[in-house]
Amino acid sequence: MPEKDLTSDDVARMDSTQDLMAREWAPCRYHCPVHADVRSYIELIARGQWRAAIDVIRERLPLASVCGRICHHPCEANCRRDGVDEALAIREVKRFVSERQGAAGATVHKVDQDGPKVAIVGAGPAGLAAALELAKAGFRPTVLEKDPVAGGIPATAIPKYRLPRDVIRQDVDWICAHGVEIVTGVDIGGDKSIADLKADGFEAVIIATGRARSRMLPIPGGDNERCLPVLRFLRRTGFDEPVDIGGNVLVIGGGNVAMDAARTAVRMGAKRVRAMCLENEEEMPAFSWEREEALEEGVNFIHRRGPVEILLTGGAIHGVRTRKVTRVFDDTGAFSPQYDDADVQDVECDTVIMAIGQMPDTGFLSGSGLECDERGRMKYDPTTHRTSQEDVFACGEIVTAPGSVVEACASGQRAAKAVYLHLSGREIVIEDDIPEAIGVLPDETAQTVPQVDRNPVHLRPPEQRRKDFEAVDFNFSADAAMREARRCMNCGGGAEVLVDKCAACLTCLRVCPFDIPVVTDVARIDSALCQSCGMCIVECPANAIVARSWDVRGQNDDTAAEIRKLPKRKIVAYVCGHHSSSAAWSGELEDTIGGVVEIYMPSMGRLGSQHILHALENGASGVIVVACRIGADRYPTVTQRVRKRVSQVRDMLAEIGVSPDKVQLVEEASEGRKAMRDAMVEAAEKIDAT
Amino acid sequence: MIVAERKPMDEIIDMIAPYEKVLVLACGGCVTVCLTGGEKNAEMLATQLKLAASQADKTISADFDCITRQCEKEFFDNLTKNPDDYDAVLSIACGAGVGYMSEQYPDAVILPGMNTTFLASNVANGIWEEYCRGCGDCALAWTGGICPIAKCSKSLINGTCGGTNDGKCEVDQDMECGWLAIYERLEKRDRLDEYRKMRPLRDHRKDRGKGVRRLVLKDMIEEEPVNE
Repeated sequence: MPEKDLTSDDVARMDSTQDLMAREWAPCRYHCPVHADVRSYIELIARGQWRAAIDVIRERLPLASVCGRICHHPCEANCRRDGVDEALAIREVKRFVSERQGAAGATVHKVDQDGPKVAIVGAGPAGLAAALELAKAGFRPTVLEKDPVAGGIPATAIPKYRLPRDVIRQDVDWICAHGVEIVTGVDIGGDKSIADLKADGFEAVIIATGRARSRMLPIPGGDNERCLPVLRFLRRTGFDEPVDIGGNVLVIGGGNVAMDAARTAVRMGAKRVRAMCLENEEEMPAFSWEREEALEEGVNFIHRRGPVEILLTGGAIHGVRTRKVTRVFDDTGAFSPQYDDADVQDVECDTVIMAIGQMPDTGFLSGSGLECDERGRMKYDPTTHRTSQEDVFACGEIVTAPGSVVEACASGQRAAKAVYLHLSGREIVIEDDIPEAIGVLPDETAQTVPQVDRNPVHLRPPEQRRKDFEAVDFNFSADAAMREARRCMNCGGGAEVLVDKCAACLTCLRVCPFDIPVVTDVARIDSALCQSCGMCIVECPANAIVARSWDVRGQNDDTAAEIRKLPKRKIVAYVCGHHSSSAAWSGELEDTIGGVVEIYMPSMGRLGSQHILHALENGASGVIVVACRIGADRYPTVTQRVRKRVSQVRDMLAEIGVSPDKVQLVEEASEGRKAMRDAMVEAAEKIDAT
Repeated sequence: MIVAERKPMDEIIDMIAPYEKVLVLACGGCVTVCLTGGEKNAEMLATQLKLAASQADKTISADFDCITRQCEKEFFDNLTKNPDDYDAVLSIACGAGVGYMSEQYPDAVILPGMNTTFLASNVANGIWEEYCRGCGDCALAWTGGICPIAKCSKSLINGTCGGTNDGKCEVDQDMECGWLAIYERLEKRDRLDEYRKMRPLRDHRKDRGKGVRRLVLKDMIEEEPVNE
């Protein structure tokens, strides 16, 4: 909860109360490495406003489609819905909208590019993200890629069953539409040197070559040709090159790349595939769902064994000698394995895939003048992204710890800022400050939030998926994506009290279905707890409460504009859109009722008596309030409250000699379009009769 | 708090009939808390007046505004609209606010939109009940905390009249007898001795008998009041 009180003067100075969202961030945004405005795009998806949603996503996340498939989703890991039932399926919802829209369905913010030329070495996530930022700033970025395709590891080594290549193409095409030039098949260090790039007119260079080499173990037999470095194996299969996988494969490693290798080996036709790692089931770094899916596909696991020697017979592998692991981590949690050398077992296999990690390939730097440290890592200043040369910068996994696509994007965006500042003749000072994350949701509040099941992601049956490289799971349908997005609790988008107007009347406390407001000198509504239903806002007699995510000031004007567009019959239907379709929210319904404008709201909790009266004042011949059946609204007690509001307005009309029947309440918003439409037709006829 | 109820709409419409440009002015004090005044009600009343005029084929302009309290002039600085710019100001404060505004804006027409009714407590959501009549001579110490002036419909000070009927008041059969409540409270506290004492006649000079009442805190005043 921000320490600074909010006043009506503060709000009057704002273009929109949306500005208040910057006071605190929802944890999904806070923990996202690129700080994508998750809450906002999820809200747009809840309304089926696909184009607007993808534009919000892509504003911060260049690889939206890739991340929709493979992101490690710290947004979900920190989703406060987990305290109520289960975290929102943010990644799956994003996947739906980004793939539905594709490259052409997202807005391109192309600017005149008359700035300096910048070369980016490596078309992986970090390089692409850096290039996009520079293009948006008016620079002329060229990305030089050694491989025949852009995308980096996602395009070359992540198996197609997890990340179909057309999905990557969506992101790359959208990035290129901004004026990013990508040249593939260029080997920097081979075809061209970094010095050549400078001679070609590039005023700065960003090195973003990632971790393209597999780590290997210096054990006897480790150099056998059938002991495959994992990236080489995955790249070959990714490029559909022939690989002799043998019949009995042992993958060494317990991370996600090891899972990729094992599951790929299954698909290549290996009869027996096992993954062996130092860790036990709980310790192993692979995502638990990756392990589960691998198990379903027939991969078996050998835990707590470490390889000692690749066993050969006449140059052919016949097994791996292993020893027992007694511990993996020391008391401080640092990786520090210990072994029992007396406990030795041989594991039979004819192919070994070494998947114990990846490392930067810095060979291309030799002769470039760029310095490396004593461990062979490229020297770089993490605050400025500068290498040992003033106009050469670095980002992504070549200089950071191994991470995910979205983390590489964040690093690339930061390096782009550094280059921008450098080439603008300014000191490189990158502002990393972000707003605080809102606090945890206490159990007593979580218990008041109605539970809604997470929409499941359907997987193909294991016996089918182990046979091919088609995607293992299915995308959400539009309905499922909207249903899932409607589980979002709009964290941090809720109510704030204008302390100069609050009369401490207790009304907010009395109408809140979640028992959030506390009234001392004035009402205090903890934004960490508020569920954003809007009930207190419209009931407050002092108009002393605003919502961060919803500027009430515009609502009456928006309605007035809609009324003006109507012909002779001018009826406003305020509709709870919690169960409504994308077409309804987007104004694309094909069965609208003549002379009736349907205005959709996330919940009728946000419709006050004043809004109904204003619609009549602004020329509506009547208002239909379309609420859900009791219990079906997004928030508890809303329909009961709406009944009182409608009754109040009808009484107010009666006392000035206006027929109360000009305001009709129907409670069919949760009953499907046909029932709702029939009820609205009937209500409109009653209004016509007044 | 002070409770006020909005005047009947017909009366309001008659009051503002001569005027075309009206400001509905709310008070952020007691009447906001009892949900009859306050900015939201001013907003809705302004709309209602416009709809009523339209119903009568007339056109009026009606704006709304709200200040923290209409009974203290320092808050007038917070008005976003100037009362002098309007043909009439319909105040939905208590009578104190309306009267004081009228005094401070002598050129403006300040009209009462409310009937100020009583001093109340909020006994349940949406229900306020009279607990005090502002008589100037509090008796609660010897009545077990139940006000004989407010809770007895005849404001008796020496026990029940003969009209108590099954614990109800003869004035209104739905109303509890205030003095029976006092008796039962004192009995429960073993203080019926208080009930048996004869109380002197009320000093009505402390109520309304001596005209307009004033509170003067000599430690706070900056100059000697003229009337002292």
